[in-house]
Amino acid sequence: MKDRPMVEFSCESFREQLERLPLEPPGSKAGDWRGILSQEAREHAAKCATCEAALGDFVETRQALGEMRRTLPEPGPWFVSRVMATIRAREKQLAEQSEGVWIGVMRLAPRLSAFAAVLLVLGGTWVMELRRAEQVRQQQMRPAEGMFETRPSAPPNDDIIASTYEESQP
Amino acid sequence: MAAKAEAGPGGGGTRRGDDRELVRRAQQGDAEAFETLVQKHHGRVFAVAGGILRNREDVEDISQQVFVKAYFSLKKFDQRAAFSTWLYKITVNECWDLLRKKKVRPLVYESELSEEQASMYLGTEQKSRPGPDVTEQLEVRQQLEQWLGCLEERDRTMLTLKEVEGFTVEEIAEIVGINGNTVKVRLFRARQRVAEMIRRKKRAASVHQRRNQEFAGNEVTEE
Repeated sequence: MKDRPMVEFSCESFREQLERLPLEPPGSKAGDWRGILSQEAREHAAKCATCEAALGDFVETRQALGEMRRTLPEPGPWFVSRVMATIRAREKQLAEQSEGVWIGVMRLAPRLSAFAAVLLVLGGTWVMELRRAEQVRQQQMRPAEGMFETRPSAPPNDDIIASTYEESQP
Repeated sequence: MAAKAEAGPGGGGTRRGDDRELVRRAQQGDAEAFETLVQKHHGRVFAVAGGILRNREDVEDISQQVFVKAYFSLKKFDQRAAFSTWLYKITVNECWDLLRKKKVRPLVYESELSEEQASMYLGTEQKSRPGPDVTEQLEVRQQLEQWLGCLEERDRTMLTLKEVEGFTVEEIAEIVGINGNTVKVRLFRARQRVAEMIRRKKRAASVHQRRNQEFAGNEVTEE
């Protein structure tokens, strides 16, 4: 079998592998993240100071933050029931709100229609008055305008001339 | 821990499939289906909020708000992303909104609480669980808050999601709404800063210890 060519294990591959490591190394390797890296990755870290430092930071941070898991608050036993009760209450409130709007509209309906009727009558009267005033103004303006109008010229008397001519013919 | 007992972050294929069906039913108005979804995801929503916020009451309020908000916007959810990712996205945004509203938040004010209040902060279930006592847990938390305090809110969230909750880079990118490569770079820098803080703290502690030993040695020779 032919030897496979050595592929350079890059810093990017190393970081990629670091990000994919499980939260806790399995079983006997507990706490040993270096131990669960691939052989290539370990060899790369031994040669590359930057990746070795990155691994150091990774282990340090993961160990410290692992402690945080123990201190995280947990939901109490009634949490789910409380959430569902809140949802039901909110739904009821929303339904009441939309109902409330309709009830309000229905309650105000007679007053609203009376108001609308008054508004219609007043508006109609106002429009009629405006139109009548306009008509009166136009009537008053008409004779005054007549004084300045040019009289239409009399139609030509061609037909009279023609008939006179015809009569004079023998 | 209930939250950790659930399937991995983001959910595997089957879980996503289960969620899909439940979401579809919930979208049609099946409240029971939604309740099942709450049951499945409340632990992780709580944990995600707990990684960002410091106060237990805030964590509880926000987690509740997240599910209420999810319920009323469920019709708009088109299931292109996993339901869990969508939920965590809402959680992160709600937490950031709260932090923005609070603006100046005390770094760790839990230290001022009494023992009783502190145990309330840490949750009711923890009382029955064997492990370090409340004061010790508070000290750990306080220390972590100090270390994470050197980060921007977004970087802190990403680092917590990655190192505490075990989300993948791709999931974090979707939750936080930034490019995957940017997530990687920011995580790398955040780790550098936190690790530097931890090392500095360790160095200071060892110097302090050495001084104490020297002081004790001097006292013995004087006697």
